[in-house]
Amino acid sequence: MTIAGYQVGLKQRAALSGWQAALISLFAILVALVLFSLVFILDGVNPLAAYREIFSYAFVNQYGLVLSLSRFIFLLLSTYAFIIPARAGLWNIGMTGQLYVGSLCAYGVVYALGGKASQSVYLPPLLVIPLMMLAAAIGGALLGGLAGLLKGRFDVNEIVSTMLLNFIAFWLVSEMIKEGGIFMNPQGRSESFALPASLHAPTIAGIPFTVLIALALAVVLKFLFDKTRIGYQIKAFGLNPAAARYAGISPPAISVLVFVLGGAIAGLAGYHYFAAVPGVYKIARNYSYFGDLAFYGIIAGLISLGDPLAAIPVSLLFGGMSNGGRWVQGKLHMGFGLDYALLGLLMITLVGFQFFYRYQITWQKEEAHGDVAIPG
Amino acid sequence: MWQFLARSLEAAAIFTFAGLGELVDQRGGILNVGIEGVMLFGATLGFIAAQNSNSYLVGLVAALLIGLLLGLLHGFFSITLGVDQVVSGMGIWIAGLGLTTYIGNPYTGPLGMERIQTIGGLSPFFYLGVVLVVALWFLLFKTSLGLKIRSVGENPSVAEVSGISVTAIRYGCVAFGGMMAGFAGAVYSLYYNPVWNYNFLMGWGFIALALVFFSMWNPIILQAGALLFGILWQLSLNPQLVLPGLLSRYVWRMVPFAITLLVLILISTRWFRTRWGAAKPEALGRPYLKE
Repeated sequence: MTIAGYQVGLKQRAALSGWQAALISLFAILVALVLFSLVFILDGVNPLAAYREIFSYAFVNQYGLVLSLSRFIFLLLSTYAFIIPARAGLWNIGMTGQLYVGSLCAYGVVYALGGKASQSVYLPPLLVIPLMMLAAAIGGALLGGLAGLLKGRFDVNEIVSTMLLNFIAFWLVSEMIKEGGIFMNPQGRSESFALPASLHAPTIAGIPFTVLIALALAVVLKFLFDKTRIGYQIKAFGLNPAAARYAGISPPAISVLVFVLGGAIAGLAGYHYFAAVPGVYKIARNYSYFGDLAFYGIIAGLISLGDPLAAIPVSLLFGGMSNGGRWVQGKLHMGFGLDYALLGLLMITLVGFQFFYRYQITWQKEEAHGDVAIPG
Repeated sequence: MWQFLARSLEAAAIFTFAGLGELVDQRGGILNVGIEGVMLFGATLGFIAAQNSNSYLVGLVAALLIGLLLGLLHGFFSITLGVDQVVSGMGIWIAGLGLTTYIGNPYTGPLGMERIQTIGGLSPFFYLGVVLVVALWFLLFKTSLGLKIRSVGENPSVAEVSGISVTAIRYGCVAFGGMMAGFAGAVYSLYYNPVWNYNFLMGWGFIALALVFFSMWNPIILQAGALLFGILWQLSLNPQLVLPGLLSRYVWRMVPFAITLLVLILISTRWFRTRWGAAKPEALGRPYLKE
């Protein structure tokens, strides 16, 4: 193809360096933001003003920043729930169901200890909060592990199975918190009973302490992936399942392992939002909104190419933008679902950009020699 | 009871349309895990178009067009760009969930149009579904075009050598698959349950996807599976018709998904696997890149 005297061609990339990948990812996000500004223009809103509102609420406004960080923690955990199986070439889109079951298990602990009776019930937080987190992780791990087992033992497509489990978990939450379910709010609202004040998770400058867990996980996962035998086996299996089998790696064991780990982290994400974020402290009536929010984890996982450290800034950006988007739609009187629209546009742009992770565009002046490769 | 059965058959028709599209996709070697997203788009834009024009025809055509567009988009990503088909399908699903939530929100509520005329107590869509099943079975297994589609899904390099354009056939398949999924969505939002609400499909597309695996890529078996799940779905909505008082309505809503999982496990048994393995399009999910 010739454009303006340049010979334009495509070349398959031999290898992709870290900074090239980062640059492509950055381009993808920028293109999505340009597309997103069309949504504002169609609604008669100046996109620059809208972006200024979004970012200043998300990252400057004191109240907005705390909410953004709460979402950041939630998204980072959702991203890890996606990344671990993705390393093994498996798709966990079941973080939604895993976080539902995780939250139910966490509330199950409180219920079993009599915390439903009243918000003023005293339960020793140093004992009960770790128990709640453990229960959440186990609940998520069980649902995730089920998908892993179905994949490993029965070769059931994990995309379909995790999605089916999401719906089962969705109705399970309704069963528990609505119409006389055992976790239902005693005042008769279609939400769970409120967490006793003694179990409100500690905060650091207004931010739930779960931020420490999320950040520690980044380091732990980085270490697991890069420095341990298991990390190597997961990667080898992801690159070539058939060859991995000859290297003595058991495919069913790997698929159960990655889904158990991913599910446990998704369960913690459920604990985080419904039991640790200030002002929530219950399984909300609109819990499916948070379930959908977890799908940002898929995008963040893909954009960060499975790197746990790269996932941090990406999750921070998405957490802030979805929060700011939600706020700006109220402030500028736009329709519901602005943050959903952003989710969709980011995803579809990213898919298009997948191409550039594998190919580079080369252009060459007709008479001149030497390739000039533009990254991205 | 008759009304229950009629509703079941109408639910089945939706599974049939979405499943047939995906079946043709996969016969041509392309996996589209995003049919739920295409259905959401078809349902939402079909709903909006029908309500604004007060014409069902306009709504259905709009759904077919957006389905076609999304099918071609999936084709562009997965055939031309060689992007991983699962990534592209997931992208279309999440884009569908995200964008239709925003686009459809102002239209939340009932469609408010006169119901589509029934024929013998059933919507015309049910009959259309049956006709399409037979037609596609004939096309896939009895015509030279069908042979081309199957050979492209089986072994694209050999097909290419024997003079078949893999790219053209695959684009045809994804275009058809997208249109059918968009249409299925519109049948849902214009006839089966003519009320727009956010993310109203709640898994129809994913069950249709599972049905295709179950069908061993045969339209006749797909139709049987669609009938089964149509009845099951309807039962999960109205359990009191058959088993009054047993289990709560939320538990019933889980049943179709649980049974789908059981079916997926069942088809992985050795008896089924030997037959399934023979039917599975060999090149399914693998991008074909000419060297």
